[in-house]
Amino acid sequence: MPLDFKSLNRRTFLSLPVVSVVLPAVAAATAPEAKAMGAPPLPAVGSGPIDFKTNAPAPGSFPERWICGSSSCMDNHDPPIQVNWYNEHTVFMRQNKAYSFEAPFLHLYFGNERILLIDQGYTQLETDWPLRDVVDRCIAEWCVKHGRHVEEMELLASFTHLHDDHYVGINQFYDRPNTRYMGQTHEEMIGFWGMTNYPEERVTLDLGGRDILIWGNPGHVFSEFAYYDSYTHILHTGDMFYRGRCYISFWDKWFASMKRLMAFLDDHPVTYVVGCHVEISRTGHDYPYGITYQPDEAPMHMSVEVLKHAYEVAKAITKPGIYFTGSVFLCNETRDSTTIDRIAYEYE
Amino acid sequence: MAPASNATFVETSQSTAASPCPASWPAPKEYDGSDGDPNAPYNPPGARNTDSCLPLKPTGEVVHDYTAKEPAPGDLAFRWIHGSVCAAKNTDPRIQVVAYNEDTYVLRENPCVNWEAPFTYLLFGNHGALLIDTGATPEADHYPLRVTVDKIVARWCGVRRKKSVPLTIILTSGEDVAQNQGIGQFADRAQTSLTPLELGARMEFHGLSGSWKQGIQRIDLGGRVVEVIPTPGTHKDGLSFYDSYTCLLFTGDLLYAGRVQIANDRDYVASLERLQKWKQNHRMKWVLGGHVEMMFIPGRAYPRFSTNRPFEHVLQLEPEAIDEAVEHARGVVGKPAVVFRTDFILLNRVSPDEKVYQSAPDLPRVPVPYWRSLQ
Repeated sequence: MPLDFKSLNRRTFLSLPVVSVVLPAVAAATAPEAKAMGAPPLPAVGSGPIDFKTNAPAPGSFPERWICGSSSCMDNHDPPIQVNWYNEHTVFMRQNKAYSFEAPFLHLYFGNERILLIDQGYTQLETDWPLRDVVDRCIAEWCVKHGRHVEEMELLASFTHLHDDHYVGINQFYDRPNTRYMGQTHEEMIGFWGMTNYPEERVTLDLGGRDILIWGNPGHVFSEFAYYDSYTHILHTGDMFYRGRCYISFWDKWFASMKRLMAFLDDHPVTYVVGCHVEISRTGHDYPYGITYQPDEAPMHMSVEVLKHAYEVAKAITKPGIYFTGSVFLCNETRDSTTIDRIAYEYE
Repeated sequence: MAPASNATFVETSQSTAASPCPASWPAPKEYDGSDGDPNAPYNPPGARNTDSCLPLKPTGEVVHDYTAKEPAPGDLAFRWIHGSVCAAKNTDPRIQVVAYNEDTYVLRENPCVNWEAPFTYLLFGNHGALLIDTGATPEADHYPLRVTVDKIVARWCGVRRKKSVPLTIILTSGEDVAQNQGIGQFADRAQTSLTPLELGARMEFHGLSGSWKQGIQRIDLGGRVVEVIPTPGTHKDGLSFYDSYTCLLFTGDLLYAGRVQIANDRDYVASLERLQKWKQNHRMKWVLGGHVEMMFIPGRAYPRFSTNRPFEHVLQLEPEAIDEAVEHARGVVGKPAVVFRTDFILLNRVSPDEKVYQSAPDLPRVPVPYWRSLQ
């Protein structure tokens, strides 16, 4: 799509679908300016494009144990954000439970031209929770390692779905240069990815040699996406499917999303399925909603079999209620009416 | 002294010589960092006492007369610490201490140490002190209950010109982990008797063996009598305490401004009826429970595990709350129900999170600020 950059103001720029922006032109136009700002010169060798295609799936590792809160929140001395470099081009982060009980996971994917940040956590103020600082440091570290200028890398800040524990941290990025962030309405969300046929349409976001596949994944809420990284083959199902209580607000939409995921698995290899929270222990014990200490929590990543098994279980579900698949709880239209927890001191 | 005092805060080589009050000030050598220490560096030279209640000259023991026709004066007119947006960044005290009057203290655990944020009460009589409940956190460095109680006791002894006073620690429920966790901090304390946690031993401790549910016992603190009323219902070993001096009723989990989880509905109604009868025969100023979970909005409570509660209900309930609770508890015996009232919520035979974001249609509909969920 040819673009007239002279007529491009902030409003038209933000309304453009990310996938169709021709970025090298922008990069070329801003390059001299970047030099004038005193940025270090690019290393002559080793700064060629990174190959994200031939060695996929790129291996990586999750931490042995994620930071999982403490019995007294005031006495928590863990970092506010746990940063896990899954491999040298992929970062998974988690908000500390003492900063927010939701403890959402955040993803950072690096490409040759752009960086994708999925979700921004549940705390607005940078003085309370320094997300912007941590993300900027990750980007700076990556740029130094791979011979890029930070100014040339566009940051795309999107979120999995329209819930505040996944987007309120975006406040910290409002003044960040060369950054585009998803709007907080359904129309802006699908417009951000240039979708016209939500949720069926699957779009490809090119980060510069690294493709992220994105499609609609409603069920937990109406406005929700699934993300698939073609470099690590990690499938991100957000709050629609994660290790904990999958609160299903719209069963029909959720089941249709499940079918879409199954069809996707048929022709795409997936190493891990990851979600936005962990609310369950290694032994299948449920950590109640709101708790700030999960000492024995299960790993965040799941195998494809967990997802497939949940689909088999879901096929038989016809009524509202809570169903345990052995790995996750499917809470079919039960939020605000039923929980798994029982009365602690009941007696006869 | 006023014109020169600025110079002492300017760090230059001249000012030390120019200042009229340099080295002659007593060095704060013996300052132990405790509250109200006259040796603290911010006190003027020669300060001997920072607490006007403490005597400057040695006098004899003060014996207080705890008999009164009216409830002893006292008030809770202030705001409780209530957590913060970001629990890890909370800078409030770990325990908030409030003097209801000279012989009655109310302590609250910071919600960012434990979300239960329980209240603990410390009462003094001429011959003894009584601590009702011990908080939800065992670790003394997270929740320094022992240190705090020791300080209050030491100051009270100073005010009353006593060398020491024995302490008795009792619980509204031995099984409640929101109230029994701090008791271990007092294990090696001198002149202290601790209640056992186990039901039988605990009733024996209070002299309530046998048909304990029907009995009434007294704890005499020396002129001040606290009466022990068995009130099972939210815990099978529940006790309430009535202080005849302040006319306060301490109910623990049985009745408080929050989501009251009934553990046995028949016992619960019987206990409330006993309190209702008690109310008819005794003056009663307020009912003080073990927690606050309600908002300052009719029928709305903060969900479990909340560490930020900016619009909290006050701690005290009017005695009429007992009548209201009896009336509504009778209606739910034997069936699962959530009863929303203006100042409390009763939950019977349902999960603790049942209807957590809801309210009753007969109560005023007030939207909850910053609440994201379905209202």
